[in-house]
Amino acid sequence: MDLRDSFRNATRAIFAAKMRSFLTMLGIIIGIAAVVMLMGVGNGTKKSILSRMQSSGSGNLYLTAGARSNVLMGGGGPGGPGERSGVSSGAKITEEDLAYIEARVTYSIVVSPTNQTNITIKNGDTTMSGTGIFATPTYFEVDNVTIADGRMISTSDIDNRTRNVVIGATVQTTLFPNESAVGQPIRINGASYNVVGVATAKGETVGSSVDTAIVLPFSDGEKSFGVVHNVVQRTTIKCVDPTQSSAVTTEITDILTRKHKKVDFSIQDVAAMTALLTSSMTTLTTLLAAIGGLSLLVGGIGIMNIMLVSVTERTREIGIRKALGARERDILVQFLIESSLLSIAGGALGIVISVLGSDFIVSRFTTTSITGSSILLAVGFSIAVGVFFGVYPARTAARLKPVDALRFE
Amino acid sequence: MNLIEFNDIRKTYTIGTVTIDALAGVSFDIGEHEFVAIMGPSGSGKSTLMHILGCLDTPTSGAYRLEDHDVSELRSNDLAHIRNRDIGFVFQAYNLLPHLSALENVLLPCTYSTHIMSGRDEKVRAHELMERVGLKDRMYNRPVEMSGGEQQRVAIARALMMNPPVILADEPTGNLNSKGAREILDIMKELHADGKTIIYVTHDAIIGAQAERVIRIQDGRVVADERN
Ligand SMILES: Nc1ncnc2c1ncn2[C@@H]1O[C@H](COP(=O)(O)OP(=O)(O)O)[C@@H](O)[C@H]1O
Ligand SMILES: [Mg+2]
Repeated sequence: MDLRDSFRNATRAIFAAKMRSFLTMLGIIIGIAAVVMLMGVGNGTKKSILSRMQSSGSGNLYLTAGARSNVLMGGGGPGGPGERSGVSSGAKITEEDLAYIEARVTYSIVVSPTNQTNITIKNGDTTMSGTGIFATPTYFEVDNVTIADGRMISTSDIDNRTRNVVIGATVQTTLFPNESAVGQPIRINGASYNVVGVATAKGETVGSSVDTAIVLPFSDGEKSFGVVHNVVQRTTIKCVDPTQSSAVTTEITDILTRKHKKVDFSIQDVAAMTALLTSSMTTLTTLLAAIGGLSLLVGGIGIMNIMLVSVTERTREIGIRKALGARERDILVQFLIESSLLSIAGGALGIVISVLGSDFIVSRFTTTSITGSSILLAVGFSIAVGVFFGVYPARTAARLKPVDALRFE
Repeated sequence: MNLIEFNDIRKTYTIGTVTIDALAGVSFDIGEHEFVAIMGPSGSGKSTLMHILGCLDTPTSGAYRLEDHDVSELRSNDLAHIRNRDIGFVFQAYNLLPHLSALENVLLPCTYSTHIMSGRDEKVRAHELMERVGLKDRMYNRPVEMSGGEQQRVAIARALMMNPPVILADEPTGNLNSKGAREILDIMKELHADGKTIIYVTHDAIIGAQAERVIRIQDGRVVADERN
């Protein structure tokens, strides 16, 4: 019997019992939809976390005062609020520490010390609150902040303790809706400053965004905002070769421990955190897929059940076909094709439903990402389910003795 | 030359502790082009005999030769091939597939042959056979839309599809009225005249009288083997 005949027979048998075929498929439909959607949610969440981590700079290390036991839970993540909380009294990172590190580290790094404080920004009658970031020129390179208009904070701004600032994109649009802010005066906590540049909008990042911030010369923090003398709240260290981040972490830890005689600081490695997050998200996605897989298993058992019923019901037909010359293989293939078609059709419907379903999820809850590979996996899985759970009923049918099948009432 | 040689064929069924000898040592030879009637009371083992002849069942013991094959030696694929090419089986219950049209039923054996005919030749032959059994107008009817006699004629056309040398008919007229029965018998006689070997199980003494040879079975044994 050639395959075309087999397929025609199988579709005929499936359509002959439409309701039953549909109910059988339902198990697979739900199973595949569950697998694809859950994997989509897992992948989507992973992707969005990763892209946010990457936009805050891959290969960056965050050096803060105070020892922390947990890398991830430490201080709300890179750039997160509450950097100073949980810092043991007396522990601090100073500008001398940074100079000490830069003088001794053997890898190629860029160091960006920053202090932060909450500020009120005012232009004319418009006021907004934001973050004041006291930074050096390296801040822009290290934090991937580019300039849309004007210029960056320069070394001479630092040295001369100027009141030149760079404002975030949201500050520009909020306070200067109709004109470029560059060259304009601006009031920060009541004092007068001069805008020299506007940063390119960055969108969402982990922690606070530069969009609602103003970058001020590092030296101005102490002068105008009462930042403690010679203290650096947070230092971002960029490894020029991101793959060296863990080696750099080790080396800087050694250098600073020697200087402080104890580990009263912590270094968070974005790459390590990213890797950790990636692997735990992968585990989560796998877990979700496995839960979906369970319903697929149940669906497969449904197919087996129906195929067994179908074999029993069609025992006489099997006998007739055998009497006319059907070999065991012909009968086996006939039933296998039938179970596979059921399961593939169920899988296809399941994929359609999962695509519609993720649109729904995206619109309401979280991002999802249905990848080609998860669809491929679903299709492969549904074929496998059809074949695997179809084999037993099909073999039962194929091995019937013709005479027994014919005598069956 | 013998087409069929049955040598001490036995078939024993065991149900629990009870054993039934459906065939208790049956031996006979059937030559080419014979028309043999097999007669005997109900339960005497006629169907069992026909199933073994038709390679639908295997004997518990004994030797069966068909066209110089030792059938007992053959594997299931070879038996399927014999059922497809060498034997046309006509059952009392017609055994048509209910969801197929008459024509599709006739074409069914082709699906299991190693296509010697092209699809078009197969259709042409199926049409000819339907015409031959007098059902030119019923090609596209389903079995439920036909009378018993018509269904049995479709079954005969199907048995002839692969042009087998042997036709086995197990009480083909058992469910038919006398007119239907006569039509079937007439077709069988024509087929015999065309050179087919016919083995025909019947209760009907009148039909038996028209056969060349009558083998009588009782309790799984041959009790008489007469030539008319
Ligand atoms: N599958 C079977 N299992 C047990 N007994 C059977 C089976 N098939 C047939 N028999 C028995 O074998 C005997 C012969 O049956 P059968 O060949 O159908 O007789 P006939 O066709 O002459 O009426 C009967 O007694 C029947 O009950
Ligand atoms: Mg019988």
